Amino acid sequence: MIHVKDMSKMIGISIVSFCAVFVCALFLNFYLDLIPAKALIHTDAAKILYEAQCSTAKVVSIVSGGCLLFTTAVLLCFDIGHYIDARSRQLGVLKALGWPGFSVALHFWAFGPPVLAGTALGYAGAHLFMPVFYETQNKDGFLPDISIAFHPGLCLCLVFVPAAFFSLLAIACSYIKLKVPALRLIREQSLQKAVPAKRETDLPFLQELKKSNVRQRKSLVFFLTFSVFCFASTTQMSGSMTELSSPLMAYMILSIGVLLAAVTLLIATTSVIRANRKTIAMMKAFGYRAGECSRAVLDGYRPWTYLGFALGTVYQYVLLKLTVTVVFRDFEDIPAYEFDVPAMFLSLAAFLILYETVLWGYTKQMKKISLKEIMLD
Amino acid sequence: MITVKDLHKFYGSGGSRSEVLKGISLDIEEGEFAVILGASGSGKSTFLNVVSGLEAADGGSVCYEDQDISRMNDAQASRFRKEIVGFVFQQYFLLPGLTVDKNVKMGADLAGNKNYRSLIEAVGLGDKLKKYPHELSGGEQQRVSIARALAKKPKVLYLDEPTGALDEATGRRVLDLLCRLQRELGFTMVMVTHNQNIAQTAGTVLSMNSGRIVERRRNSSPKTAYEIAW
Repeated sequence: MIHVKDMSKMIGISIVSFCAVFVCALFLNFYLDLIPAKALIHTDAAKILYEAQCSTAKVVSIVSGGCLLFTTAVLLCFDIGHYIDARSRQLGVLKALGWPGFSVALHFWAFGPPVLAGTALGYAGAHLFMPVFYETQNKDGFLPDISIAFHPGLCLCLVFVPAAFFSLLAIACSYIKLKVPALRLIREQSLQKAVPAKRETDLPFLQELKKSNVRQRKSLVFFLTFSVFCFASTTQMSGSMTELSSPLMAYMILSIGVLLAAVTLLIATTSVIRANRKTIAMMKAFGYRAGECSRAVLDGYRPWTYLGFALGTVYQYVLLKLTVTVVFRDFEDIPAYEFDVPAMFLSLAAFLILYETVLWGYTKQMKKISLKEIMLD
Repeated sequence: MITVKDLHKFYGSGGSRSEVLKGISLDIEEGEFAVILGASGSGKSTFLNVVSGLEAADGGSVCYEDQDISRMNDAQASRFRKEIVGFVFQQYFLLPGLTVDKNVKMGADLAGNKNYRSLIEAVGLGDKLKKYPHELSGGEQQRVSIARALAKKPKVLYLDEPTGALDEATGRRVLDLLCRLQRELGFTMVMVTHNQNIAQTAGTVLSMNSGRIVERRRNSSPKTAYEIAW
C-alpha cells in the first residue's frame, strides 16, 4: 500500500532525524566517555571544564534533541495527513470493502524506515566526526585523554527506539485520521473541517483568502516560523561561536541550522502550494493573475516568518549569554558576550534573499498549475 | 459573438499523439443558450476549455467579437477570462475554507460587484451566507458556484456538466435557475452535457462525436427544466 516512491517524499523527516541524532550522539557519547575520566581530574581548572562540558552536553542534547524530536513528530503527522488526503478515495474503498481501520492503519508502520535511515546515518556520521569533535572539546588539554567508545545502549536509544516510536506514532496518527466514514473518504470530502473566523470581516476576497489559509493550516505556520527561527538563531550564533568556542562548532551549527531551515521551508511551502492547487487553478480560471494567487496563498505566512526571525535572534542571544555567564562563569579567558548587531543584519539580509527567492520560485511554479490537471484528479 | 474556425487540438506526442478536436467550425450568437451534446470522450469538455481560453488551440481560431483567443498569451488569456468569461463545473470547486459569502466574493471582486449578495438571494441561499461548503448539499454547492460565476458579470458563461453530479430534483432546480438567470441577465450560455433531455432546454444544440460537430439544430421552442424527461 505504501511504496518506496512515497517514502522518498519523506526525505524531510530523514534529514531532521539525521540532524537530531548527529548532535545528540556527538554530545552524549562525549559525555559518557567523559564520566570515567572524572577520577583522573585533579586541578581546579580541569574540574571546572569537566563540569562545564557535562552541562553543555546535557543542555545541547536536551534542547536540540527535544526540539528536533518534536519537529520530526509534527512533520510525520503532517506527511501522514497529506498521504491520506491524496489517497482518500483508495483508502475509502478499502474501508468500504470491509477492511477495519486499524488493519489499514497498521500498514503505516512503513513511515518508520525513513526515520531509521536518518537516525542510522546521523549516528554513523557522528562517530565519523567524533575524533575531530573530541579534540576540539579538549583543545586546551585540561582534561585527560578521552578515547572514543561505542555505547550499545546509546545506539539503541538514538537509532532503533526513535524508529520504532515513529512507526507506532504513524500507526496511531493514521488510525485517528482514518476514523471517518468510508463514504466521506471515497467522496474525497475534506477530512478537515473549515476553521471558522473568530470574527466576521468584510475584506476583499484576496485578503479573506490569505487570512483563511493561515487559519486552516496552523501546522504550516509552525513549520515556517520554526524554519526561520532555526535560520536566524544558527546563522547569528555561528558568528559568535568562532570567538566563544571554535570555528568547527560554528560550522557545525551553521550547516545544521541552514539545512534544517531549508528543509522545513521547502516542505512547508510545497505543502501550501499542494494544498491550494484547486484554489489556485480556480482562481486562474476566473482570471486572477499568478502574482495575485501567490500573494493570497503565501503572503499570510510572512508575518510569522518575521516573528520566527525575531524569536530566533532573541533565543540565540539569551542562550549564549546564559552559557557565558552561567556555564562558563568560572573561566577567566572567556570573552564577554554582547549582542552582535552586524551579524543580525547580515542574517536578516540572507533570510530575505532566501525567502523571496523561494517565493519567486513557487510563483513560477503556480503558473504551471492548470484547471485541466485538477479536473483529471 | 463567438466564432470558431477549423479548430484543432491534439494531446500526447509521438506515437501516442491523438487529435481530440478535428477541425470544428461554428458560431454562437450573443445572448444565446447553446448546448454541446456528446458522449463521454467526444471532445466536448476539451472544446469548452479551448473556446473559454483555459487551453490553447493547436490549429484554427477562436474569436470573441474581435479578439482572437487562440493567439493570446497567458496574461492576455487571463485578462480575457477575467473580463468576459464565467465558469461552472460539475465538481463545483468551491474554496473549502471560505463561507458561501466569501466564495461568491471571489467572482464579485473581479468585476467590482458590490451587489453580489442579491445573486446569493437569487439562487435561494440568502440564509446560508455564513455556511461553509462542507455544510451544504451538492445542489446548494452548485448554486453557490453559479452565483460565484455570475457575480463577476460574465458576458459568456461556460458550464461543464453542471447537473452531472446532482439527483433529478436538484438537477431540475439548478437547470431551471440557470435558464431563468440567463433570460433575465442576457448573457451567452454554453453548456456541455451528455444528457439529451437537457439539450431540449437550449435554443441551439450542437452534437459532437469523435472531435467533430456532427449536427447543429435550432430549437424554436425550448422546454423548461420541469417539462423535460431526466
